[in-house]
Amino acid sequence: MIKTVDLKKTFVGRGQTVHAVDGVTAHIKEGEVVVIIGPSGSGKSTYLRCLNGLETLTSGHIHVDGVDLADRKTDLNKVRREVGMVFQQFNLFPHKTVLENLVLAQTVVRKRSQAEAEIKGRELLKKVGIPEKEKEYPIRLSGGQQQRVAIARALAMDPKVMLFDEPTSALDPEMVGEVLEVMKQLAREGMTMVVVTHEMGFAREVADRVLFMDFGKLVEEGTPEHFFNEPKEERAKLFLRQVL
Amino acid sequence: MNTELKNWLWRSLTLLILFSMGAGLWVATKKIDYTWRWNRVPQYFVYHNEDIKTVPFDGRVTTIDKIGETSKITILSENDELQSFIVDVGTERVVVDEDLFAGDSIGSTFSWRVGPLLHGLWVTLWLSAASSVIGLIIGLVTGLCRVSNNITLRQLSVFYIEIIRGTPLLVQIFIFYFFLGTVLDISRIVAGISALAIFAGAYVAEIIRAGIQSIPKGQMEAARSLGMNVPQAMVYIILPQAFKRTLPPLAGQFISLIKDSSLVSVIAITDLTKSGREVITSTFATFEIWFIVALLYLLLTSVLSQVIAWVERRLAVSD
Ligand SMILES: Nc1ncnc2c1ncn2[C@@H]1O[C@H](COP(=O)(O)OP(=O)(O)OP(=O)(O)O)[C@@H](O)[C@H]1O
Ligand SMILES: [Mg+2]
Repeated sequence: MIKTVDLKKTFVGRGQTVHAVDGVTAHIKEGEVVVIIGPSGSGKSTYLRCLNGLETLTSGHIHVDGVDLADRKTDLNKVRREVGMVFQQFNLFPHKTVLENLVLAQTVVRKRSQAEAEIKGRELLKKVGIPEKEKEYPIRLSGGQQQRVAIARALAMDPKVMLFDEPTSALDPEMVGEVLEVMKQLAREGMTMVVVTHEMGFAREVADRVLFMDFGKLVEEGTPEHFFNEPKEERAKLFLRQVL
Repeated sequence: MNTELKNWLWRSLTLLILFSMGAGLWVATKKIDYTWRWNRVPQYFVYHNEDIKTVPFDGRVTTIDKIGETSKITILSENDELQSFIVDVGTERVVVDEDLFAGDSIGSTFSWRVGPLLHGLWVTLWLSAASSVIGLIIGLVTGLCRVSNNITLRQLSVFYIEIIRGTPLLVQIFIFYFFLGTVLDISRIVAGISALAIFAGAYVAEIIRAGIQSIPKGQMEAARSLGMNVPQAMVYIILPQAFKRTLPPLAGQFISLIKDSSLVSVIAITDLTKSGREVITSTFATFEIWFIVALLYLLLTSVLSQVIAWVERRLAVSD
């Protein structure tokens, strides 16, 4: 589904060069749930943002469903509608109601009719457990509810892959569960997911594979059992000692 | 002392101060021996115009028929042609069988006419409205150029904004009228509107730029991640939010524009200010007219700010 080959992303600014992603080669298969973990600043977000073209790559290749993002002829907008993204800060559209948040891109990008998009929107709101909030504005929802709306908004585009960038990090602890529950359900339904998270429990329970990144490099990858119980790399061991 | 009573005392003090300022003005004008002639003012808003009818030829009155409020005077000319004239009842100056010479007055009609002040108010109103709309469009386009990735667009917009903001509007109006007006052969009204619109556009552009930049980056990213292209994200996501935030400064800008439009009177456009000046030359009611003109500007600007406040309340539902 997604293949990255020697992916590099370098930020140059104020005389400094940051190799945020430094040669990552990975393959995310269809229906797989891949969790990326690593210390702060290790390039997890940047890697994820490269996957849907929010960052332009410095070098290397990304193939999403067979389409090369590095190819200049690729229409990134077409790729993005197949790749859903959920952000740490939710990024709901504050001037639109919950339902309008779900409907807008469907009508504008997917060219669905208003009625069709609303049906789909309501269906998804039911799925994430807040059908009664459709007329509410995002600001009047709790963080957990907002993040669930954000997930529903991404799902409304019928993406082939869902990317999550620390979806629970901005939430109060008591709301983390409800968002993770929605994500687990998605995983059970066979959605291809790439999740950056600090929720080790989620990684252990749901992930098919764990990627560990440090200093922009893919340091270790394997099944959760392997990664949490017998990591080979020294840095992974050190990291696990700190977070567990 | 309870706060309610205290507040009322302060309010009375405000009134007292305003009242004594008014009284002071009154005393001051007494000293310079100025006769206030407020009764002369209304006729410059609307007046009852008398239109005197004359016969264009020599002839004789045949009949005078009353039709409701008007009289129909029929006159037979020397070469036996009948022609009728309509005048208001009671203004007839001829009788049946009277002989008339060309140019004699036979009666008159009355009608309400718009006086110079009302006309000036109207000119100021549509002048400001037209230049606001054009200025908004120019400002929107320039503001978008200002935040675009294209270097040329960005530099051109900065160039335009700096030139306009760095020179006085009065000078710009003169340049538009004397230079562009001559070169491009445009009328004074077009020159005036363009000068105002381009002036406002530069300020609007900066307001729009600040508005767009005040929207968190995550909004654009969320829109793009849903597959929207940049124009779609701008139209559906960024600009509506930016518009809401920029409404107060935009309102201020357009209120300024109404006031600044008084400067076009220097290129002989009969706006409110110019009309005021013209009325003064014929009435010498200098003080009254300037006060009235000020009041009319105040009326326009406060209506605008009420409208904007209403829009702001409407938009506040998502807060
Ligand atoms: N737009 C940018 N400009 C310059 N440097 C950046 C930019 N975005 C990220 N970086 C740098 O790239 C590196 C990787 O950042 P990234 O956000 O991908 O880390 P992360 O693993 O997601 O960290 P965290 O867990 O704190 O979210 C950091 O050193 C960061 O400072
Ligand atoms: Mg991050």
